[in-house]
This record gives sequence, structure tokens and C-alpha cells, in this order.
Amino acid sequence: MAQERFTSGFAAEAPAETIKQWQEELERGFRRLRNLHGLVTNPVEPKTGQTPRVEIYKRNKSRLYRYESARSHRTPVLFVPNLGISRPYIFDLMPGGSFIEHMTRRGFDFYLLDWGVFGPEDNDLSVEECVTKILPRMARRVLETSGTDELSVLGYCMGAPISASFVASHPDVRVKNFVNMAGPFDFAKVGLFGLWLGKDNFNVDRFVDTLGSVPADMVKAGFKLLKPTMDLSTNLNLWWNLWNDKYLEGFQALNKWANEYVAFPGEFFRQWVRDFYQDNKLYRDELVMGGRPIRLERITCPVFVVGAKEDYIAPPECVRALLDKVGSREKEYIELPGGHISLIAGRGAAVHCWPKVSAWLGARS
Amino acid sequence: MADGVGSNQLFEQWRKQFEEGAQAWSRLITQTAPASPSPTQDPTAFWRPVLDQGVQTWAKLFAQTPATPELLTQWKQFLDQWIDAWSKVLGQAMGTEQFAKLMGQSLDQMLVTAAPAKKVVDQQIEQALQALNLPSRSQLTGIAKQLVELEDRIDRLEDSMNAKLRRLAEREPK
Repeated sequence: MAQERFTSGFAAEAPAETIKQWQEELERGFRRLRNLHGLVTNPVEPKTGQTPRVEIYKRNKSRLYRYESARSHRTPVLFVPNLGISRPYIFDLMPGGSFIEHMTRRGFDFYLLDWGVFGPEDNDLSVEECVTKILPRMARRVLETSGTDELSVLGYCMGAPISASFVASHPDVRVKNFVNMAGPFDFAKVGLFGLWLGKDNFNVDRFVDTLGSVPADMVKAGFKLLKPTMDLSTNLNLWWNLWNDKYLEGFQALNKWANEYVAFPGEFFRQWVRDFYQDNKLYRDELVMGGRPIRLERITCPVFVVGAKEDYIAPPECVRALLDKVGSREKEYIELPGGHISLIAGRGAAVHCWPKVSAWLGARS
Repeated sequence: MADGVGSNQLFEQWRKQFEEGAQAWSRLITQTAPASPSPTQDPTAFWRPVLDQGVQTWAKLFAQTPATPELLTQWKQFLDQWIDAWSKVLGQAMGTEQFAKLMGQSLDQMLVTAAPAKKVVDQQIEQALQALNLPSRSQLTGIAKQLVELEDRIDRLEDSMNAKLRRLAEREPK
């Protein structure tokens, strides 16, 4: 009966506007099928990381890249992203959708630290080595190349506590500004990962002693478990927008990144979990690296903290916590819509996040 | 009008089925976590608003003539809410101490079982490669580590040379 009414209503009584809408929908349906066919039969490798850059320095797997820009700010920016988990080309995903491109267009002398992809030979690399050996060298190279005596440090995700540890323990390197983007500091408020990696639930020593490292597949499983419905909603949204070629282009680039996980070196993971997740040493002023105590209060430069409202990897409260510890007079916190990734990549980031970060840094560089 | 009543009945049946499903889910959680000190959370709290909204939307849409592609948008929104509700339910279940403990225990058990097996396999592979006069993974890893150490030494030398050159430059009379 309902079927009869539906068809008769559509055929006999539908206004011209409704018919037009259905025709458009049908057209979208055809485009969806065409694009799906292309995706399945002729998958194209999306081009990512297209902003021109030069390799300045390399140490084992880590690389320091300098991006071309019409430099209008004197102070260079050293960008320190997460180590392991994923590749840093998410920050330079595609032209028009790239944080790095945005920063270079705003006239920043921009440097990216790419930690690299680790193998079994890197299993001895620790957080301490990153803080006391790699970061100081990278920072010095930035200063040498840019011809300045001070730099701004921008940390994203775990790159933020790692770079903050470096800034707090290396007063010889002059840091003019520090920006924390979605980097956790108070690990007592770090959400699901904090619970799962807690001392009572996770034996990090047994894990590292047995496996040697955290294989990429295991990193992937951990993140998938954090949001089990993510794949479902991603695929639903893909089908819904499959007619849109521009969406498809962005999706392919993002999907490439989202499926390329990077292993953690064993010792790094052991120290990261034990000192940060389980003992919260950085926030409690108990962390010692290379014989130097790490005290966040020794960070006295202007500090800008950006949290994401729906971030379930680094919830806003554990990101904001940095402000309670630094010794800076000038400190500011903003909370933006989006999650851990959409804070820094995608259309929302281009509107909400990038202009705020570049404006804050621009006024102080 | 009669059609509208018919479709409403159909949706009422759906809703009943969903609610029974939710109750089964709730029972399951209560069974797996009997020692929970906190009161058992009711997962149907997440489902109800979604279901109610979905049912109302679909009832309205079916009563509407003629149907427009808006119907598909509504369906997409319903699915989004459905996924979101599931995500919250799962997030709540995985955010319990019981789940974290269970996951930790399973992982520990896996590692305890895997460790001896991995050791035996590693030893056998090492012996086989030695017999074939081929380098093993640990030997290659050892060479890679030595290279990293050498790189580190060169860096340190470079740093100290640069520091000395800077000091010399500062001392030079202008």
C-alpha cells in the first residue's frame, strides 16, 4: 500500500522541483558508481608532501627539512611532531590543504623534524636520547641555517612533551616561543590510553622484553580499538560523498596516511609508557634526562596551547595542563572544534586552527 | 491516513526489537562485570534518543508525499547517529577498569605464550643462517647500531670543532 502511494505520488503528483532533485540524485548515484569503479580497478597513488623542501641534517633515521618561503618573520619555527605511530606528511597533505604550506605562505622560515621509520636496529633509541641528543642538534642546525640566535618550537601530540622537556632542560638554546598543539602533559587526565596503559593493567617490561619493539600492526590495532566505529563511519562518509571528485582526492590522500602506521622503538616505548603514562613524571617534576632534572617551570618564553574539543587521544584537560606548570608570564589557551587529527589537518583546521597559530606566532616572531 | 498508521506500527515493532537488543546488551555487561563498584550504566540511554528520532523521522517521511531525495539525507543522518551511539556505548564499555584489566591479562597471556616460542624460532633461524654462511638479523642489526654510533661520534667531533672555531673567532682581534 505504502509502495503504491509512493510511486503514484511520485509519478502523478510530484512537482517539477522534486523530479529535478531526484534527477540530480540519480546523477550523483552514477558518479558514485563511476568513482567506485575507478577506486577499485585503477587506484591512484595520491601525491602528498608537495611543498618544496631541502634536507638540512640527518641523524640515523631522523631528518630535518627546511621549507621554501618568502621569509617575512625573523624567528624560525622548528616543528616537532610525534615519533612513531604515523608519518608526518599529514602536515603537508596536499596543496591547499597543508599546515606547512600555510605557515610558509605566512612568511615563516619553517623546519620539520621527521623522526623517521624505525627498524629493529633502533630498538635502543629512548625518549632521553631524543631529548638530550637529537633535539639539541636539530635546534642548533635550525639556528645555523636560519642565521638567527633564537627559534620558536612547535610541538604536536607527543612531540609537545618531548620538545618541552628539551626546552626546559637546555637553556643554552634560546627558545622565543613555545606552541603546544594537542600534546598531553598531565597524564592523569589522558583518557582511555591512560587507563589501558596504567601500571595495574599493562606490563610494559614484559611487552618490550618479548617483542623488542611495538610493531606497526600493533600500533594500528591500539588506535583502531580506541575508536572501533571509525572505519564504519569513514566508509559511510566515503559512499555518501563518493560523487564529489574533490572529496575523493582528499579522502585518498588522508586514507593513505591513515593506513601507514609506524612502529615504536622498544626502549622509547618503555620509557614513554613508564615515565609519562604510568608515573606522570614530567608533570610531577620528577623527570631526569641526561643527568638534568626536567622542570617545566623553567620554560619562561610565551606559551600558546591549542586543545581539540573532541580529542580522545589527548583530551583538552591534559593538554591545557601545561599552562599550570610553565614559568611564563605570557600564556594562552584556546580550545578548538575537532579531534586529534582534524585539529591540524583538513578543512576545519584551515579555518579554525592554522590562522590562529600563525597569527599568534607571527606577532611574536 | 491508514498507511501512516500501518508504517507507525511497523516502526513501533522495530523499536521494540531494538530495545530488547539493548536490554540484552545491558544484561551482558552486568554479567561480565559483577564486581563493578559503580552502578551499572544503562546503554539504552544512548540508543533511545537516536531510535526515537529515527522512528519519528521515518514516520514523517513515509507520511510525506511526494518523497524527495531529502529522504536519503535523513537516512544518512540516522546512520550517523546510530554509529555515534554505538561508539559511545563501546567507549563506555572499554573505559571500564574491568575491560582494561581483561585486555592487559589477555595481552600478558599472549606474551607469556609467545616468548618461549619466539626464542626457539629465533635460535633456529640464527643457526640455519650460520650453517648457510649468511648474516643473521642480529648481526645486521649490530652493524647498523655501530654505524649509528659512528655517526654520533662524528656529530660530537663536529660540534666540538665548531665550538672551538667559534671561540677562536671570538678571541681574534678585530
